[in-house]
Formats: sequence, structure tokens, C-alpha cells
Amino acid sequence: MTMTPPTHEVGSQLITLCAAIMLVLQLLLVVQRMLLTNIRLFALQSFMLAAIATIVAYYYSATHVYWVAVLTLIGKVVFLPRLLTRLVRRINIIEEIEPLINAPTSMLICGGLTLLGYIVARPFTTLDKLGNNTLAIAITLLLTGFFLMINRRKAISQVLALLTVENGVMLAAVALTTYGMPLVVELGIFFDVMVAVMVLGILVYRIRESFSSMDTSKLTQLRG
Amino acid sequence: MPLLTLILLVPLVVGLMCLLVRQPRVMEWLNVLAFAVALGLGIRLLPQVLGQGVVTEWKEFLYADALSVWMVLLISVVSLGSSLYAGRYFRRDLAAGVVTASRVKEFFVLTPLFATGMFLVVLANNLGVMWFALEATALSSVLLVALYNRRTSLEAAWKYVILGSLGLALALFGTVFTYAAAIGQSGHEKLPSFNWSHFMVVAGQLDQRLIKLAFVFVLVGYGTKAGLAPMHTWLPDAHSEAPSPTSAMLSGVSLKIALYALLRFHILTTQCLATSFSGTLLLCFGLFSMFLAAPFILVQTNLKRLLAYSSLEHVGLICAGIGMNTPLTIFGALLHMGYHALTKPVLFFATGNIHQTFHSLEMRVIGSGVVKALPVTVLLMGLAAVAAIGLPPFGLFYSELMVLSGGFAAGNTVISVLVLVALVAAFCGILKQLTRVLLGTPKVARTSDATAWDGVPAMALLLGGLLVFSVWLPAPVLRLLHQAAGIIGGKP
Repeated sequence: MTMTPPTHEVGSQLITLCAAIMLVLQLLLVVQRMLLTNIRLFALQSFMLAAIATIVAYYYSATHVYWVAVLTLIGKVVFLPRLLTRLVRRINIIEEIEPLINAPTSMLICGGLTLLGYIVARPFTTLDKLGNNTLAIAITLLLTGFFLMINRRKAISQVLALLTVENGVMLAAVALTTYGMPLVVELGIFFDVMVAVMVLGILVYRIRESFSSMDTSKLTQLRG
Repeated sequence: MPLLTLILLVPLVVGLMCLLVRQPRVMEWLNVLAFAVALGLGIRLLPQVLGQGVVTEWKEFLYADALSVWMVLLISVVSLGSSLYAGRYFRRDLAAGVVTASRVKEFFVLTPLFATGMFLVVLANNLGVMWFALEATALSSVLLVALYNRRTSLEAAWKYVILGSLGLALALFGTVFTYAAAIGQSGHEKLPSFNWSHFMVVAGQLDQRLIKLAFVFVLVGYGTKAGLAPMHTWLPDAHSEAPSPTSAMLSGVSLKIALYALLRFHILTTQCLATSFSGTLLLCFGLFSMFLAAPFILVQTNLKRLLAYSSLEHVGLICAGIGMNTPLTIFGALLHMGYHALTKPVLFFATGNIHQTFHSLEMRVIGSGVVKALPVTVLLMGLAAVAAIGLPPFGLFYSELMVLSGGFAAGNTVISVLVLVALVAAFCGILKQLTRVLLGTPKVARTSDATAWDGVPAMALLLGGLLVFSVWLPAPVLRLLHQAAGIIGGKP
């Protein structure tokens, strides 16, 4: 590339570091069962995504990527975690009941999924694009997000799993395209995610209301 | 006149206006008016697109070619029928105390927004915008599926939104990959345009490996929303639990809108790779959907689920027709979309009437001899069912024949035979199931009541349209379909 700034190396390493932290947080999400902690882990993961966007914007002087960082910060670090926390408090479930697969096995499976992510990303990883591990991590976030979705029974955990998949997509957008997507698309995705979580919140609330009025144990009937 | 902008604005404004209105009657007529206007605008758009090939607005942000116009017409016709039917339907539900007034309002607000989302999917040029419009349709329809707030409808809505969102997340991955395929390829721009029209121009220079990977993601993603097997599991649940007008829209157009999004990527992939890679995949998924639907139709016990599986079978046929990629099969598939959009809502409306009269959708509970209780409904439903299983003189017969004969003519004998087998299986299934319920002697004597003519205007409108267009397709529509088939087939 013609426009490589001298600090490209540092930026690339910082991005790899942040992406790695996102992956670690994802693995913590897989084993952690307290819902409120899960929400905080997700907020932290989104914060790392915002950090990556800021680094990209700075090192490649791509001003519109700053917008992505700001939107992520407002939406996924502050607003959504608050909304979800309020929902959890309101419907009074603190802890996830037994996930389908226990923690050590889940960890092992996620290790395998990470490996798979690296294998899939391998042919598309070029050294001239920044953060060459980022795509692999993005695909891993997608795969582990799917696993999280299958493994959890509580509606809110499933919403969180969906949001981590979405973080993976945004990471892939930064990793593959260097500058992210056109702003109109980024804005659209942002609003869709916000509305999606609100709609999911309404549904979670209605499900809780309708099922608790009759029999709370029936809540687990509603899986997937 | 900025037709494309108006098509988007009219339902959007009406949806927002319904927020402020109190009387259900007013909301009802506002909805009908919006879709009638949208249909009129679509018809006005038709000659323009035929003349110029492409109509764009807002610096090519909105883009309409023959394929988009065809979809615009389908969306507005089905929405019009659906809103015509919805008024009587919800008045009866309200009287029975099944829904509250605020839920009915929710319906009349969300339905135009749902339609606006669909219009944006087919009119957006930017593939990213197309994605978020599709997500918007999913989000607006999920609350419609949950409208009755029964446990089962909540479960269906949850399944729909979770599977739909996962699918759309995959599709977004595919969309990102597609965009990445253009980075560094087209003139080293910092941010190349993400317009479909631009991508078609530079298709030859795109990164082929990324485009291939992208199509697989998009196929699974949008395929989930289009109800292709094996990602279809949400479909029968959502279709059976939603209120009938919504079921009609979901089955009549929403599935095809997701298919449309998939088609745009199919066209791009074919143009880029110059192989039948995406076509073959579409064909496989289409055939699989058809074969999966047939046994479920045969053993189904729930009337609406039966119709949902029949939709799965029709979507499969459309996919298979496009996958075979000959001019005749593509033309047949597009025509099939239109005829199916006119037929399936009628079946859902009639089922809505049956549901409200018998308070159940289980065929065991309904028993047989519905014709004695609801003669008019059953007559119309019978006609629509005859059309849906593909008997002449109805159009679905001709479109199915086109797909089959196109397949045989192109030498795809095995595939065409498979399609034929699946069609015959579904034919027998629906015929057997529906004759048992609709005809025969009822166990208990039932007299027809005052609600016998409910929903007839909507059903007659769509069925009349089907009959007329089955025997006489206006010349402009025929040309539009030829153009649209040309776009999919890769020829201008």
C-alpha cells in the first residue's frame, strides 16, 4: 500500500492486542453464569471494539471510522448494557440455570472453534492489511456466539450471544476493509441493533409475564 | 414525480399517522389507502422502467429495475389484500375479546412499517442498506407474530426473531465480505461505492475467493429469512401463530423479499465467477426444501402449518427454477412468485375465517364439512387450493409447467423429474388434507351465521386478479417479466 504511515506497525499490534482481549472476554462469557457479570463482559468487549475503531481511525486518518467508535461507545458500551441490566433486575433472574454443557467441556469446544476460525480465515489473511489475526478472531466470535446461543436457555443470555456475534461482524468489517463500511451502512446497522435489542426486551418481558402468571418452571420450555 | 421516494414515504407516513389516530376504522382505511396508492405508484413506475431500463433517485441511492418493480407490485397487492381483510378480522377478534384495542392499533402501525421495510429492500441500491431494510422487516413483523400474546405465539415469535437475527448476522458477514472483495480492486479508492449497480460494473475485478465465501454466508443468512430448508424451522411456527393478515403477508411476500435479496447476490456472484456456482447451490437448497415440505404436508394436523409447508414447497420451486438458470425456468419462477403471491393470502384469509368460527386450527377439532358452516369462504378457499396445487386454469399450473419444461429442454432430466415428484407429493397431500376438512358431512349440524361474507372483498380481489392474469397477462407485465428474467439470466 502506498499510504503506509511509519507507525503502521504499532497500530497493527495494538489492534491485534485489542482483538485478542475481545476473544478472551468471549471465552469468559462462555463459562460465566451470572447474568449481570455477562452483561458487563459484553460491555467490555464492545469497548475493545470501539478502541479498535479509534486506532484504525487514528493510524489511517479515516475520520468516518471515529463515528463507528462513538456509536459503539454510546450504543453497546453504555446504552444496551444499561437496558439489559434494568431488564434483568426487573424480571429478577440473577443466575443462569445449568447450561446444557458444563464449563470445562464448553471451554474445550470453544478452543476447537477458535482453531476452526483460524483455519477458515487463513486464505484471506494478507500481511499488508492491518491486524492480520483480526479476521480469524472475528470468525471465532461468530462461531462461539452460535455455540453460546445453543448452550444457554435464558432468553437474555441468547440476546447477549446474538450481540457478540454482531461484535464479530463489526470486527470483520474493520479487519477486512481497513476503513469499515460506508457511513450510511454503519448507521443503519447501529440503529437496527438498538431496535433489535428493544424488541427482544419487549418479548423477554412478555414471555416472563405470561409464563410466570401460570407456571414459572415452564419458562425453560421456550428454548431456541 | 419522484415515484420511488413516494412508494417509500406513503406507507411510512401512514404507519406513523396511525400512531396518532384513535378509531380503528380510520386506521383501517388509512392502511388500505396507503397500499392502494403504493400499488398505483408501482403501476405508474412500470412504463418508466420498461422505457429506460432503470429508474434511479437520490444520486442512485434508490434504484429500480424490472426485478424491483415486479417485487414492488407484489408487495403492494398482497399488502392491499391483507389490509382489506384485516378490518373485519380484528373487529371480530375484538368482539370475541381475543385481542385488546391497543394490540389492534399495533397491527395497523406495524403493518405499513413492515411494508416500508420491504419496499426499501427492493428499491435500495446499496447492498448494506438492503441488509438493514431486511432486518427492519424482521423486527417489525416479529411483534406482529406475537400479537395474540398467547404462550405459543410468544414462543413462535422468539424462535422467529432469534433464528432470523442469526441468519441476518450471517448475511451481514456475507455482505461485509462482498464489500471487502471490492477493496483494493477497483481503482484504489478509500471507500468504494457499495451500490449494486457499481458492483455489477466492476464484477470482473472483484476478489473471486471472497465473493464465493460471501455467497455461502449470504445464502445461509438470507436463506433462513426466505424459509429455505433446513433453516426453515421458524417458518411454520411464525405462520401459524401470527394473525391471518400477517400470515398472508409473511407467506405472500416476505419470503420472496428475502429471496430477492439472495437473488441480487446470486446475479453478482454469477457475473463475477462466470460459473454456475451460486445457481447450483440455489438449486440444491430449492430441491431440498421441496422434498422436505412434501412429507410434512402429508402428516400435518394444523391447517395453517399445512399452508406454511406449502409455502416452503413453492419457495423451493422458485429457487430450483432460478437455479436451473435457463431463460424459461427463470421466467417461470418469476411468474410463479406472482401467482403464489395472489393465491396464498386467499388461503390464509379463509383459514382465518375458519379459525374464528371454530376457534381452532387443529383439523381434528374442526372435523369435516366446513362447507356447510362457511359456504362462501370454503368456495373461495377451494378455488385457491386448486390453484395452489397447480391445476389449470390457474396460473400456477403454467408457471410450474414452464419450470419443468425448461428443465427438460435444457437436459436437466433428473432434476426436473425430482421437481415433478415433489410437486405431485405436495399435490396429493394438500388435496387429501383439505378435501377431508372442507367437504363431507359435519358431525354436528351447523348453520351458517351472519359472518358468512367476512373477508370476501379481499379474497375476491386477489382471486379475481389470479383468474384474470392466469388467462391474460397484460403486455407491459409480460415485457417486465422478460426484462427481469434477463437481469437474473445475466443478459441485459
